[in-house]
Amino acid sequence: MVFSSLFFYFLYLPLFLALYFLLPKRCRNYVLLAFSLVFYAWGEPVYVLLMLGMTFSDFMLGRLMHRFDKDNGKRRLCLILSVVIDLSCLAFFKYAGFLVGTVSGLTGTKIPFMEIALPIGISFFTFQTMSYTIDLYRREVSVETNYAEYLMYVSMFPQLIAGPIVRYKTVKQELHERVIRTDDVVDGAIRFIYGLLKKVLLANRLGPLFDDAVAAADPSLAFAWLGAVSFTLQLYLDFSAYSDMAIGLGKILGFKFNENFNYPLSAVSVTDFWRRWHISLSSWFRDYVYIPLGGNRCKVPRQIFNLAVVWFLTGLWHGASWNYVLWGVYYGVLLCLEKFVYGKYLEKAPKFIKHLYLCFIVVVGFTVFAIEDFSRLLPYLGSMFTASGGFAGKDILFYLQNYGFVLVVSAVVSLPVYPLLKEKLEKAGQGTQRAAGIAYAVVFGILFIVAASYMVADTYNPFLYFRF
Amino acid sequence: MNRRIKNIFVIVIAAVTLGLAVATVVAPKKAYSENENRYLEDFPELTFDNVKDASFMKDTENYVSDHFILRDVFMTIKTVYERATGRNRINNIYMCRDGYYIEEYPALVNTDRIEAALKRLAEKCETADIRAVLVPTAVYINSDKLPKTAKNDDQKADIDRLTSDLSKCFETASENGKRSVAFTDVTEALLAAKDSGQLYYKLDHHWTTLGAYTAYKEIAKSFGFEPLGMGQFARKTVSTSFKGSFYSKVNDLSAKPDSIEIFESDRLRLTVDYPDKKLKTDTLYAEEYLSKKDQYSYFLNNQNPLVEIVNGNAGSDRVLAVVKDSYANCLVPFLAEHFSKIIVFDTRFYRESVTEYINANGVTDVLFLYNMYTIDTDTGISGIK
Repeated sequence: MVFSSLFFYFLYLPLFLALYFLLPKRCRNYVLLAFSLVFYAWGEPVYVLLMLGMTFSDFMLGRLMHRFDKDNGKRRLCLILSVVIDLSCLAFFKYAGFLVGTVSGLTGTKIPFMEIALPIGISFFTFQTMSYTIDLYRREVSVETNYAEYLMYVSMFPQLIAGPIVRYKTVKQELHERVIRTDDVVDGAIRFIYGLLKKVLLANRLGPLFDDAVAAADPSLAFAWLGAVSFTLQLYLDFSAYSDMAIGLGKILGFKFNENFNYPLSAVSVTDFWRRWHISLSSWFRDYVYIPLGGNRCKVPRQIFNLAVVWFLTGLWHGASWNYVLWGVYYGVLLCLEKFVYGKYLEKAPKFIKHLYLCFIVVVGFTVFAIEDFSRLLPYLGSMFTASGGFAGKDILFYLQNYGFVLVVSAVVSLPVYPLLKEKLEKAGQGTQRAAGIAYAVVFGILFIVAASYMVADTYNPFLYFRF
Repeated sequence: MNRRIKNIFVIVIAAVTLGLAVATVVAPKKAYSENENRYLEDFPELTFDNVKDASFMKDTENYVSDHFILRDVFMTIKTVYERATGRNRINNIYMCRDGYYIEEYPALVNTDRIEAALKRLAEKCETADIRAVLVPTAVYINSDKLPKTAKNDDQKADIDRLTSDLSKCFETASENGKRSVAFTDVTEALLAAKDSGQLYYKLDHHWTTLGAYTAYKEIAKSFGFEPLGMGQFARKTVSTSFKGSFYSKVNDLSAKPDSIEIFESDRLRLTVDYPDKKLKTDTLYAEEYLSKKDQYSYFLNNQNPLVEIVNGNAGSDRVLAVVKDSYANCLVPFLAEHFSKIIVFDTRFYRESVTEYINANGVTDVLFLYNMYTIDTDTGISGIK
């Protein structure tokens, strides 16, 4: 189920919220758990068992770790077991096909292999459940004694399939006892609607542009760049929209999830970008991989090694294909360069140069990210950098006409224009503020109806040629 | 937004959401969507297997979207929004000058399939003459109505390519027997006539009766007949409310409907046999479709595997077989003037061999007619055997 589907938004969510708020307070966790499991099972019924298994093993290992409180060897053994089990599941279900493909590609032999469907959200929930046992081992959280509540933490549908990666210690308190304030519910609902609009009216609309550019035999330079920029905006808006909706839903239910994006496309360096992009993932790698390896408190070669490991893994986390690894390594290299080579010069450059530099890197990076097939990726990069398809064709006018509006709005939403306006408004008089508030509400209300119409239309498929 | 506006905003959104949800659940369900030309999803059966393979869930989602309340109104809102934000192509349909909708043309992708079908037809028919007509669509003939920023592949280039690819095969077929196999070009005639009237519907992918008449003159000549002049028909408008397939795709309730006209003739003495429908009539038109959404089906009674048309007052005793898409449906009335008998095949549904029928039943002439859009997508092409 996706948040932007008619079924979820108009039926599943209202039904869930009604039960969540109308039933007695002590039922809330069970309602949330039940709806989360159904939500997960909706697309992949069988894989619910996988999630139940992984959470149960971590839950039990956590309890064992607690029992062997004094015995560090056994505690460590529990942790190792937990990490090995989690990563093996992830490796098997997400990377087995990729590994087999790579090995048979290298050795030239065909290895028989049955394709496995990827369990939705496995990368997210594996990292969530791992954060629990690792933090427990580090004695940063206390043990969880109720499996249902632990399962609820991992499977909670707001963040289950697309993050943010919520750590156990962040929500531990709220799992057992949470206060729901009306203001939070209202703010959460607005945040959710904002995410929904972002997803339906911007991200989904941008999609076809890049698809067309990739499908074009040899796109012109202008078209290839327009496609790449469009994909960058789409990815950011799509992903951050999911986080908006997750954070909003969490707020309605009484949880406070951490922010996952902070206008990454307004960053001024690669380092800055990764402080703003998918924060819950980069901080996960920082806390559970980079710092344990020694982080930057060691000699330069070791630091570079640490960065290499982290960025190789970051790339791989995003998908079982070499282009994601390449994308991760690309950022590893750029971060090293900023850190050790030209960072100090970059800092002195004017802000718009820094921003341009970052945008260039991000757009090229996401092009690599977007095209899994190297036999398509290389020609596409060729179009972007060598104008192998000419500089501009007639197509570009079509795309500007049909996508110009959504591109401009997407860019405005992706840059911190709203916080800027808000700051300006706060200095204005009460009358202006009120008028702006009403205007804002009316525009959002209209856009909500438009978004609903897209949700209907996305499933509207006239079948017209059957009968000529 | 201050607290009060926020609260009101959320209450309104929640109320609208709930209202739509409840209305969707309680509203009576339609089984068929005329506008989309398809049956809507039934509520899926809840069984263990359906749940296990997730088909129950998928079907439930489809059910909800198929029966969502005010679906057509939402479609219109979407279209209005898209047009307001500068889009000139909606669902692959361009919004063109003078109220025309024109479908984007993608270059042929199934050239091999098309050429193989035409080769089979040319080679397997033993004695009949064959005329193949590739009808250009509005995207080429009315290209001056397209918006400047429209992007389309070159349809004329595709017509020329098919024509030249097959010229060798057609020549060989013509030499082997005492017969002629050739293309008949209607593009020039349509281009020449385009300012004299409306050759294509504005909201549908078909050509108008006038478009068919324009092509008829070329086709008749290529079969060796003197085409009938416009003055020998009585033009009559049979509908002023035709909202065709493009309308359904765009869904702008404010679009002005097309008229459908026919060229009436008092010369025809017809017996029209639809064996599949077990129906015999004396007309090529099916009145009942004029009150439905799908008004083009007025011509030749929608779709039939085979239709047999006998004209007791034809100028010749020649027998024509037509292998075609729906463009031929409004062309057949003109051809009926000249042929004593016409057999119209729809090879999507006609399961036997068309060429065997042609060879065994004294067919003297064959017309192959497809428009350049459906020739690529239609499955009937493969049914020509």
